[in-house]
Amino acid sequence: MEGVPATVGAPLPETTYLDAIRKGIWEEMEADESVFVLGEDVGAYGGAFKVTRGMLDRFGPDRVLDTPISEAAIVGAAIGAAMMGMRPVAEMQFIDFIACAFNMITNFAASSRYRTGIGVPMVIRGPAGGGVHAGPFHSGNVEAFFLNTPGLKMVQPSTARDAHGLIKAAIRDPDPVLFFEHKLLYRHIKEELTPGDEIIPLGKAALRRQGDDLTIISYGAMVHTALKAASELENDGVSTTVLDLRTLLPLDNEAILAAVARTGKVILLHEATRTGGLGGELAAIIAEEAFEYLDGPILRVTPPDTPVPYSQPLEDAFLPNAGTVTAAARKLLDY
Amino acid sequence: MKRYPAYDPPEYVDWKPEPDVMKGFTATLSREPRRAAVVADLSTDKLMGLYEGMLRFRLHDITLKRWVRQGVLSKAWLGTGEEAVTVGNVHALRAADLVGPMIRNAGACHEMGMPLADLFRAYLGTADQITHGRDIHTGDPRRGVVPPISFVGSLVPVMAGMALAARLRGEKRVALTWVGDGASRTGEFHEGFNFAAVRKLPLIVVLQDNGVALGTPTRTHTRADFTHLGAAYGTASLTCDGNHVLDVLAATSQAVALCREGAGPVLLVAKTFRMGGHATHDEAEARAIFPARLFKTWGRRDPIGMYETWLEQRQQPLMGGRENRQVLAEIEDKVSREVEAGAQEALDSRRDSMPDGRSLREGVFATSDDSTEPAFPPCPVSATGAAAHR
Repeated sequence: MEGVPATVGAPLPETTYLDAIRKGIWEEMEADESVFVLGEDVGAYGGAFKVTRGMLDRFGPDRVLDTPISEAAIVGAAIGAAMMGMRPVAEMQFIDFIACAFNMITNFAASSRYRTGIGVPMVIRGPAGGGVHAGPFHSGNVEAFFLNTPGLKMVQPSTARDAHGLIKAAIRDPDPVLFFEHKLLYRHIKEELTPGDEIIPLGKAALRRQGDDLTIISYGAMVHTALKAASELENDGVSTTVLDLRTLLPLDNEAILAAVARTGKVILLHEATRTGGLGGELAAIIAEEAFEYLDGPILRVTPPDTPVPYSQPLEDAFLPNAGTVTAAARKLLDY
Repeated sequence: MKRYPAYDPPEYVDWKPEPDVMKGFTATLSREPRRAAVVADLSTDKLMGLYEGMLRFRLHDITLKRWVRQGVLSKAWLGTGEEAVTVGNVHALRAADLVGPMIRNAGACHEMGMPLADLFRAYLGTADQITHGRDIHTGDPRRGVVPPISFVGSLVPVMAGMALAARLRGEKRVALTWVGDGASRTGEFHEGFNFAAVRKLPLIVVLQDNGVALGTPTRTHTRADFTHLGAAYGTASLTCDGNHVLDVLAATSQAVALCREGAGPVLLVAKTFRMGGHATHDEAEARAIFPARLFKTWGRRDPIGMYETWLEQRQQPLMGGRENRQVLAEIEDKVSREVEAGAQEALDSRRDSMPDGRSLREGVFATSDDSTEPAFPPCPVSATGAAAHR
């Protein structure tokens, strides 16, 4: 766990969440010639969201590979190159499309080290999440599809600084990492990146806010929803902890249990749908290992079990917001 | 060669070279001048190595089949009748090249230099080999062998990625993998081969058309003629007689040359026939699916029997002072003992080195004890040399 980032010293230019990811990949490519990127339209076009903008000019076509619309080939080739000692960073144009590479990820990459001792140091990254009116195939959150696959790591940053530090850690990691970028945050949040403190280790949650009455555990864009809800609750005298998981696999159980032990009440907030979501796993961990600290039910705040709808009023109703979180919090605080 | 009535397909038990079959075998050798030149250049060591490799493969498989009968294993996936299209491919490669076999291509593993004992150990699930008993599929990065997964077709994009990495590092390595006629219908084959094609990668995909996808005959799953499939990707397509080890080797040499000069990838179609079941458990079903005449026709074309006959009838001696037949018998004797010794070593491991249940959770992720070196390291010094059995 690390504390809430403090703003100290002279102000530096602020970097968007998107540019932070781009900067992280760029720096790793400068530092290590085995790092390369591949994906659909990542070259001259710069990627659908421009995460790879400028990389082709700087690093050339051998290290910035435009691919066919072939997610299985993108991931398969990344696996092969990784086994040879390269550090591929494969882009899924939208994270929803990772479904087309499911076999390569779950059956080949994830199990490789266990089966044969052959490590697959690769990153598969792409934009996840809703809130941008993009409909059922461009708004998904796929972490639960992979949660039950031993051998994978999963990351979703909620801040620009984390995005920068976590993508670098993901690229340096010896095992396959799925890196989910929240597209709503791409250009909506920015932050100074502090030089020096660059790598953020995988597997460590971050305490975004420390309180005594209630804990909200979340990740990705929903961390900001949790913080907004916590501010509203503060007006009513409720003191809330917000824990940002940052790494979804492996989970930072220590940080999760410490937060629950401190507050006794916990809300699990995520943007992926409810049944079989990460919240269920978190609830089980808490129930098994922190039962004696609980003084209320473990609540989940999630979208319902529907595809992500397209039309604005429907998507608004689908996504959790500060209102749904505070409503759950009040119910829980009444226990 | 010795025949094994208890384990060989019935067509092989009393196998005799038939004149028309051998006439066809010889005719194939002169059909293509470039391939004829490759074959003419083969040293006697290479010629004997091919025989040795196919025998090793057959006897490896017979050992597995014996273990199934004895209850040592529950089942095994065999290459009976398809030995030429594994051994001929591998013998056209260099030691530094990379192969990704299907489980039916076990011969690729030992012909790349893996000890037979390690192949048997993987089947037995012992702890003292690369899988530590965690999987049956095996390989060996030190010898350029990629362990497959059960999903046929998946190795095509993976091998493309290995070829890509080799080229990025400036290494003149070729990657070779196999798909069956069935696996050629997967999306991963298509995506991977197309990716290799647009990148002009040094990848050879051998389409080992053995007439059946598990239990579905080719005509039921594919309408097109595989011969022209490469054209759909803008790449070279080669075809060879999958039961003719010299034709396979010569065609693979052509494919390798194309890859090394930057004209890859290559689709190499090899027509052959599976003389048994998908695995040892369903041989009766395989016999029921196909008309008996198919087994009869292909049974006359035992890849080892034909090649052995050709070597025996060859005018030039394989070794001075002895008849070729005698030289081949000595090779068979040596390989038989090698296979028996490998099997015994593996059985010893099953007695002494089974995995400990307490190791169950190890190895899912890297730990600080793990080497940070790539599993498949940059091209070794022996890049241009021949591997153990080649």
